[in-house]
Amino acid sequence: MKQMNQSVGVISLRKHMDRDDGWGNAEGREVFQRILKTIESDPGKLIYRISLEGVKRTDASFPRESVVELARRFREKKGFCLVDISDPDLLDNWHDAAVRREQPLTVWQSGKPKIIGPSPTSGNEAILNYILSKGEATAADVAKTLNLQVTNASTKLRQLEKEGFVMRRQEPSPTGGIEYRYFRIG
Amino acid sequence: MESQPNTDEIQFPARWVDGLLFEQTMLQFASPHCTDNSAVNFYFPTGCKIMIDAGVRLLSFANQLRHVGKTIVLNFEEGESGTLGYLNRMGFFDLLHSDVFVFPHRPVVSGADLYRGGSQELLEFAGISPNHRDQGLPNRLTEVLSESVKQRSDRHALEHAAYTVFGELIDNIYEHSATELEGYAVLQVYRNGGRVKVAVSDSGRGIIETLRPSLNAEHRDLAKRSDPELVVEAFRTGLSRHGKVRGCGLKTSADQAIRFRADLDVRLPGCFVRLTPSADGYKPHKALIYDSLPLIWGTHISFDFYLDKES
Repeated sequence: MKQMNQSVGVISLRKHMDRDDGWGNAEGREVFQRILKTIESDPGKLIYRISLEGVKRTDASFPRESVVELARRFREKKGFCLVDISDPDLLDNWHDAAVRREQPLTVWQSGKPKIIGPSPTSGNEAILNYILSKGEATAADVAKTLNLQVTNASTKLRQLEKEGFVMRRQEPSPTGGIEYRYFRIG
Repeated sequence: MESQPNTDEIQFPARWVDGLLFEQTMLQFASPHCTDNSAVNFYFPTGCKIMIDAGVRLLSFANQLRHVGKTIVLNFEEGESGTLGYLNRMGFFDLLHSDVFVFPHRPVVSGADLYRGGSQELLEFAGISPNHRDQGLPNRLTEVLSESVKQRSDRHALEHAAYTVFGELIDNIYEHSATELEGYAVLQVYRNGGRVKVAVSDSGRGIIETLRPSLNAEHRDLAKRSDPELVVEAFRTGLSRHGKVRGCGLKTSADQAIRFRADLDVRLPGCFVRLTPSADGYKPHKALIYDSLPLIWGTHISFDFYLDKES
């Protein structure tokens, strides 16, 4: 996972749980509050890597009400991704939860990112894959690589950001003014 | 069996009684919930073997009837050597209302207390109390199931799916059933039948009862459908009173269970539906849909997972 310029925090989900299995709406909401406290105690972070190390199993309600809900709540402000997934079968329920909340999550396995949850529109898929593989891009980069108008690329990038697939930061443009740089969550 | 005045008599057949045969038996009788009789006799002849999906419904039903003040008698012809002994081992009598009469006698010592946790082939009846959440229950059910299917190459994935199924169904009881009466969960491996049965039962508001009011506002087309059709819809599409963002429990359970070709029975206050896996998701087994069944409160769901069938 390439370290970006943003501030990154790692949160152990297991440390916020009572047991190594996560079950149900109520427990999910409780863990949501605990993680929220952790986040609020260190507000400078932009990205949170949620480590699933030590989490044996969860149903679909637990992640929906905890981590997925956090990602939805902080969409466009902070990014959440999943790391340290020892058991890929664990992710089936997380995918269902993310679909249900309409909140994509970036998952890092073997150093590579993938998205679980809702899919991007077919028109935005290639751009998302480009950012996932490159790490970050501006509208001009995307327009050039994928042969699009810059305004069209810009609209699609903004849509991906609004939907929670990627994040963006503002930078001075080499030609003056500002430009947005869109980046994967991780 | 001698008929008593002011008494509803329900006699089960002298063979293995699973959830389906339980319902087919019930069809022959009026629901004691709806008669003016003050007592109910359940009769279990020699050779009658109650399986857990029938047993969990019987437990809920007997406690419901006692709750409304009826006198309940469970009469086991074969005594402790038969189904009474088995139910005792499963902890049935520990959860049966103490005022329910049991013949020839109520077990003095609980088999479940003696042997609890000692078998890898069963998980005794567990109460799901609205006042106390048993956080370990889905995990305990999962561990026993996992042990029983250890010859399956997809055991590990099945474990996650089963945990989801148990967790969602039990969580539904805590969140939605809105009753003082306990719900129950139980698991038994039937090696000769090549399957594991898991049953979850509650005496609260059935899923159709909670669903119908929201349909009138949001899904007028569905509001005209029968109860069995709505059950199928709830499991297939996630139809829920909470809309599509919440309330995915039934569909999530079904989506997970179908990956492992589990059969699914659903018993609601007035109907029973068997859902069988197909390439297009769960489909109702047309010959095994019963409408207008005698009233039993609540939602009663059982899954049959196969011991050696690969997904």
